Amino acid sequence: MSSSHNNGYDVVVDVDDEGDLGHTDLTDLEFHQSTYSTTDPSAGKAGRSSARSPRTAGGPSNSTSTPSGKHHLFTLSFYAQYFDVDTSTVLHRCRSALIPRTNFLDIIDGNPDLYGPIWITTSVVLMLFLASTLAQYFARFGEEGDGGGKRYTYDFTLLSGAAGMMYGYTFIVPAALWVVLRWWGVESANLLELACLYGYANLVWLPVAVASVSPITILNWVFVGVGLASSGLFLFRNLYPVVSATDHRTAKILLIVVVALHAGLALAIKILFFAHGSPVGTKDPNMTHPVEPPKSDGRLF
Amino acid sequence: MASYQPARTSSPRISQDVIDPDDLTLDDLDNDDPLASTHDTAPLNPSSNFLPGEDRLSHSTLDESVWTTLQRDILAVWRKMLAVLYPKFTFKKWPDATDVLEAGGSLGSARTKVIGEWDLWGPLLFCLALSTLLSMCAKSEQKTEVFAGVFAMVWVGEAVVTMQIKLLGGNISFFQSVSVIGYTLFPLVVCALLSALGVYAVVRVPVYTACFLWSLAAGVSILGGSGVVRNRVALAIFPLAIFYFGLVCLCLVS
Repeated sequence: MSSSHNNGYDVVVDVDDEGDLGHTDLTDLEFHQSTYSTTDPSAGKAGRSSARSPRTAGGPSNSTSTPSGKHHLFTLSFYAQYFDVDTSTVLHRCRSALIPRTNFLDIIDGNPDLYGPIWITTSVVLMLFLASTLAQYFARFGEEGDGGGKRYTYDFTLLSGAAGMMYGYTFIVPAALWVVLRWWGVESANLLELACLYGYANLVWLPVAVASVSPITILNWVFVGVGLASSGLFLFRNLYPVVSATDHRTAKILLIVVVALHAGLALAIKILFFAHGSPVGTKDPNMTHPVEPPKSDGRLF
Repeated sequence: MASYQPARTSSPRISQDVIDPDDLTLDDLDNDDPLASTHDTAPLNPSSNFLPGEDRLSHSTLDESVWTTLQRDILAVWRKMLAVLYPKFTFKKWPDATDVLEAGGSLGSARTKVIGEWDLWGPLLFCLALSTLLSMCAKSEQKTEVFAGVFAMVWVGEAVVTMQIKLLGGNISFFQSVSVIGYTLFPLVVCALLSALGVYAVVRVPVYTACFLWSLAAGVSILGGSGVVRNRVALAIFPLAIFYFGLVCLCLVS
């Protein structure tokens, strides 16, 4: 509360208390409306009132498809509404993604953010690369004992492969799911909420990646299995109410496809990045990986 | 200092005018001309003893040697690097959001002025150095990919991090932020150099951690006075940390 330099703001409400979360969301909403009109100079003189109209009139659940927001597609303020979160909000979402108690879409509360999906996915990409490289390094170190005359060189395609796989999965699958749901006439499906769901579901791969550095094969499988179970259950629980708006058979098929794709991702992570000890890895740990990630990603769809 | 001269001499003369305007002579009018007074008594550049018209040429960069030009530009890059990399706060006490928001220093300070005149020479230099050093460490068949990948990662990362801060409500200049982030790559270049020299892993981890923290501490200065709301500062710093962390990771495993 002791902010002396809040230029442009009348009131800065510090909402770090973890107790009253319902209250937090309310203050957030009111607070950020004033943020866009005061701090963003690129909002333009021409359309300030209509720039805010998707937020005020269109409602949070429908703001992407509001036609009045279309011509602001290239202004920064248009995208700022998808990053309308505070540190405490993001942390709370992360916590509830890891330890799900209530429906995640209720926690999002009509304000899906892209911050989480983008940066969680980026962290996962980096951690996968680092953990995988370290795991290979340790495996090599264990095999050759003295390290040999040849220095270990890392595989850069692991990084690009991880980026292609994780970004592809996190943003293409929700988009595809959204198209399918819209095709079946589910009006409540929201592209951003789906992307947000998938993005936060990625969070569990961070600890899995860190834990998978260990060279014990059976432990790797256990960790990846736990990760798959946790995030798969998370996705299933939260997608079920949305998907079940279609008829019974379609919903079943869609859920099965979603879970199968997720299992595919988990399997790809295990085999492509922590392959030491698994049959693919022992033959040639460096050369089988490079081409695989994008290819498997494409094959999944 | 020479430009103050006419103003100072003219004000008493005006007060004289008020008392007795008929006293005005032709000499007074001559004194009124700022150009005449300067080139007669005190030339703008005292070191040049050429014709009066030529002292303006000594300020132009047309007839100086290429080396002088280069030297000046390199000096400018060096000065800016010092200004950017000088640690704003030590990690003795973990800086909170208020510290970060005030890290840029007061607006009128000399350092802010140096940083304010952004250029992209330093970032280009460091980016090229980083890409080259890292590609030297890479596998022989992956050198091209590593160079291109690191080069793209640096520029795209700088742009994305800056956009993220702007999207969170920060009011910062895009290219100034890119320039500052580019200059803070210097500690990472040191890391890449150590990797290229093949330093042992035992040395790498602490040194690289220190370099990472140094870069991060210098990099958060772009948030100074940006107007990001206090409870979003951590969200704004996180992408920056990820950016540095990714590059440090590449250096670490090279």
